[in-house]
Amino acid sequence: METLHFEYDAKEECHKRAHVGVVASGDLEVLLEPSSDQKASVTIRTGSDGFGDTWDKVLERFFASHPVAANIEINDFGATPGVVSIRLAQALEVSRNHEPA
Amino acid sequence: MNQLKLSLAELNARERVQALLDEGTLHELLDPFQRMKSPHLEPQGIIPQNDDGVVIAQGEIDGKRTLVISIEGAFQGGGIGEVSGSKIAGALELAIKDNQEGHTIYPIILFDTGGVRLQEANYGLMSIAEIGSAIVELRDSVPVIGVIPGKVGCFGGMSITAGLCSKLIMTREGRLGLNGPEVIEQEAGLEEFDSTDRPLIWGTIGGEQRVATGFADMLADDDVEIIKEGIVSFMQPTEDEPRSAQVEKYLSLIKSVDPTAEWSPASAREIINQQGSGSPAFEPAPSTSKEEKQSRGRTWFQALTGDPHSLSEDVRSVLCADAKLGDETARFLSIVPDVHHGFPRVRHGEVGLLEGWSIARYVRESMEADQGGTPRPIVAIIDVPSQAYGHKEELFAIHQACAAAVNAYASARLNGHPVIALIVGNAISGAFLSHGFQANRILALDDVGVNVHAMSKQSAARVTRRTIEELEEATNKVPAMAYDINSFNSLGVLSSLISGIDADSPSQEEVEAVRKKLVETVENIREGGPDLKNRLTSENAVNGGRKASIKVRKKLAEQWK
Repeated sequence: METLHFEYDAKEECHKRAHVGVVASGDLEVLLEPSSDQKASVTIRTGSDGFGDTWDKVLERFFASHPVAANIEINDFGATPGVVSIRLAQALEVSRNHEPA
Repeated sequence: MNQLKLSLAELNARERVQALLDEGTLHELLDPFQRMKSPHLEPQGIIPQNDDGVVIAQGEIDGKRTLVISIEGAFQGGGIGEVSGSKIAGALELAIKDNQEGHTIYPIILFDTGGVRLQEANYGLMSIAEIGSAIVELRDSVPVIGVIPGKVGCFGGMSITAGLCSKLIMTREGRLGLNGPEVIEQEAGLEEFDSTDRPLIWGTIGGEQRVATGFADMLADDDVEIIKEGIVSFMQPTEDEPRSAQVEKYLSLIKSVDPTAEWSPASAREIINQQGSGSPAFEPAPSTSKEEKQSRGRTWFQALTGDPHSLSEDVRSVLCADAKLGDETARFLSIVPDVHHGFPRVRHGEVGLLEGWSIARYVRESMEADQGGTPRPIVAIIDVPSQAYGHKEELFAIHQACAAAVNAYASARLNGHPVIALIVGNAISGAFLSHGFQANRILALDDVGVNVHAMSKQSAARVTRRTIEELEEATNKVPAMAYDINSFNSLGVLSSLISGIDADSPSQEEVEAVRKKLVETVENIREGGPDLKNRLTSENAVNGGRKASIKVRKKLAEQWK
């Protein structure tokens, strides 16, 4: 198990906190809370050690297209990059007042 | 307009709550943003979840004030640890208070759980005992409704919890059993239960079979609206006695089951629905003391009662007698090995079908006899290696037998009987939950042969995919995982650890010392209340043993509406 931390520039505001996902096999839990700092600050707890670079690439790509200023906590149980991106997008939807599908 | 069916089982725990509660009424307590995680997982390298896998919400269903408790089966198999268990117990305790004050709130539990979370072992057992006690107390004022929508199902100690509910709703996908198929296969072998045989599994513990045999009340399609209608219908007041209190009916049924016969789901349905064959299936072999296997349970029963005739003549694995304790008469109960037991999986002193229902009978018998008088003390002598792992046990609903014993002890305690558990040997898992864990006070002998745990070391290692060495290493970080009685004592649940006693062959003086302790404990109980709060207020509990349990309850009370 390891804890990772990343930060990205982010200017877009979000309004609502959001919680999606479950710490289930191949899945993850995402907590998103609006931040007044102009950055996306991400803390990840993961059971799969040694994937720091992969996380950085997945997150960099996500925040390049969605530069949302927020504090994000992730508890990961071996989610693939695809699942991570989907959960982040879902969290963003919820925080923009859409209910998750 | 035709509405699409919405599956409850396919939703996660929080979505299930959202789907069941009337729109705009949901108030979640200890939501994920409060980060009330388990403190015991990260030290073991396990990723925690911010709600610890349990969603607690107040709201309305059909306009009625409701508490919905929803367990997330996908997180750690829905296992119950200190935080998740205390969330459930704490919420039910708040509901007791409201209902007693005439402020009705209907408790609904959505079960999706493998039982005790083995990585927190004894915390799970303690919480499940507290949950059971709360359900029994709640049922006096309001029906407690359980739903098993399916995915994991409902197993282990939590199947006993389900067995205490007033009404149970299951889908065809739902499963309800004390021991999961894999655990039975591990413990008892492939001949006993083939855990890959899906028709066998569903025929034994599936929702359809459970409803057809009366161990659940409604077989619902996996559809939110249908399940909601079921919940609303079960909120109506009813004269029905809960299953776990229907002792004579089920005891006579189990006594008429021939344990040597082959039983199929169909033949089990038949005998259960005609309420037994009407006559006992077997006579116990004549008792010869030579054949009676000595065990600590028997030794201490004989020592404390002066070896009278046991009241339970036809069930020789249960010893019951009334004997002097101080200036009064107390009832003593012990479960012991019976090498001739009709059910082969119970011959080493395990708690099986007959044991659960018999304990319930003898506890309730003393309650009835003492009505209007002074409720006599009840002493449960504990030396139980485990619950019985077997196919017939599951087919005839061993979880319900265990629930009956839990119910009886809890009711006795709540009705003013001082109930004491005296641990003289092993106190393992569902066996301990059924026989002893509902006591006002738990005493234990300080001895290496005294062990408390949720599962045998071998099985726990297999289930959590660790070696025994890794498991033992983990116990250094989490005392709740350790087997020894001193670790258990550090959790604050024991009211006394008695040293200097030979647990195998006590001298007369040693027996008198224990008896004196029992008498003192009875006095002590009569001065206090009938609930289990002392387990949270003891010195060891406050000084760290139950830190998270206490914090969870405090926060729930603050957020309760």
